[in-house]
Amino acid sequence: MPVFRVIHNLPHGLLISLGATAIFLSTAAGAKAQDDSAFHEIETKYIFGNFTVGSSTGIEGEKAFEPETEADFGKRGGSYGAGQTALELEYTPNQYVQFEFGPTVSYFDIHNVPGLDDRNMGTINGFEGDFRSVLIDRGPSPIAVTASIEPEFHSRDETSGGKVVNYGLENRLEADTELIKNRLFLGFNLLYEPETTRADLGTWDKESTFGVSSALAFQIIPKVVVGADLWYLRHYDGVTFNAFTGDAVYLGPTFYWQVASKVLMSAAWEYQIAGHEVGVMPATLDLTDFSRERARLLLEFEF
Amino acid sequence: MSFTSVRSIMGVLPFAAAMLAAVTGAHAQQGAAIRISVKGRHFQPAELQAPANQPLAITVRNLDTTPMEFESVSLRVEKMVTAGAEGVVHVRPLAPGRYEFFDDFHQETRGILVVQ
Repeated sequence: MPVFRVIHNLPHGLLISLGATAIFLSTAAGAKAQDDSAFHEIETKYIFGNFTVGSSTGIEGEKAFEPETEADFGKRGGSYGAGQTALELEYTPNQYVQFEFGPTVSYFDIHNVPGLDDRNMGTINGFEGDFRSVLIDRGPSPIAVTASIEPEFHSRDETSGGKVVNYGLENRLEADTELIKNRLFLGFNLLYEPETTRADLGTWDKESTFGVSSALAFQIIPKVVVGADLWYLRHYDGVTFNAFTGDAVYLGPTFYWQVASKVLMSAAWEYQIAGHEVGVMPATLDLTDFSRERARLLLEFEF
Repeated sequence: MSFTSVRSIMGVLPFAAAMLAAVTGAHAQQGAAIRISVKGRHFQPAELQAPANQPLAITVRNLDTTPMEFESVSLRVEKMVTAGAEGVVHVRPLAPGRYEFFDDFHQETRGILVVQ
């Protein structure tokens, strides 16, 4: 697809957000000339807005409550909104690993979307866990890498809201590096998520998602970080890349704020700027496997 | 549960075992002993020296009349120390470098651990 067409099709909100982000990031070039004594080390886990996750695994003994909401908006026609809030407890038992677990609550607001039943409801929808372990520590290596495995169980389909039995296993490699000490960070994620789902018919349907991401984050003032996140996602029927069904490119701004010493927030809003759906022409986006827009908001309260 | 699901779970087991080993073994090693104190909301000394590639045991003595919390993002430790008391934080073997630490209750109180 020509680049100019992609840019022309971008939502105005995205253009404004990216413009603001570009202005923020452009100041990074002059960051070294500023008084760096006000900027100190920060944990990188949430500075990329939390679609891309940084490598930090927390501080030994740290416990926190983390409500994290992910919302998806927009399908091919009609009105579509679906959200999921994970009410997770996070615990860091030592300097190498971190655990999270908790129930999830989902809500659906779906009207006149082709292929989906109308639905307006909220419900408890299963459990998620996350086990993270340091693979490469920053120090001799300029890049830090953490492995993450996130088992999930859902009793409602995350897209349609229909009753299902769904198991997923989100596997990630989370890497980041400091481009300017304590100021400018670059993050990368590699994602592989197989899922198996049993719906009304009683058969198990398997699917998988593969993704890579890159994100920039700039600490613009102490404890406030802004940035941009870019994801490429591919969806398959089958858990081992059996049948390709579509892909999507997401781009959007990110925001992180260390509100107080024990409280932080992390947010991201991303737009599908390119994509392809097998069997759909013209295939400028994949709005079956992915949404038109997606957002995340995480709060952390350490105790 | 399908065969594929079982295979997925089996794939997780080595990772889980490695994490369990990390959890249980983290404090098995004794560290090189380092002492630091806090007085008048200043670390004394403000710059610590430590050997590289061996675990450390940092004893933090609080000589102030209010509690403090020794904390470091890069060391990944925190320890609350009440007034007049002392606490010990155990740090994993570190690569040579400079590692910031601070008092989380009074964040202007800061110091550096120099590992070489």
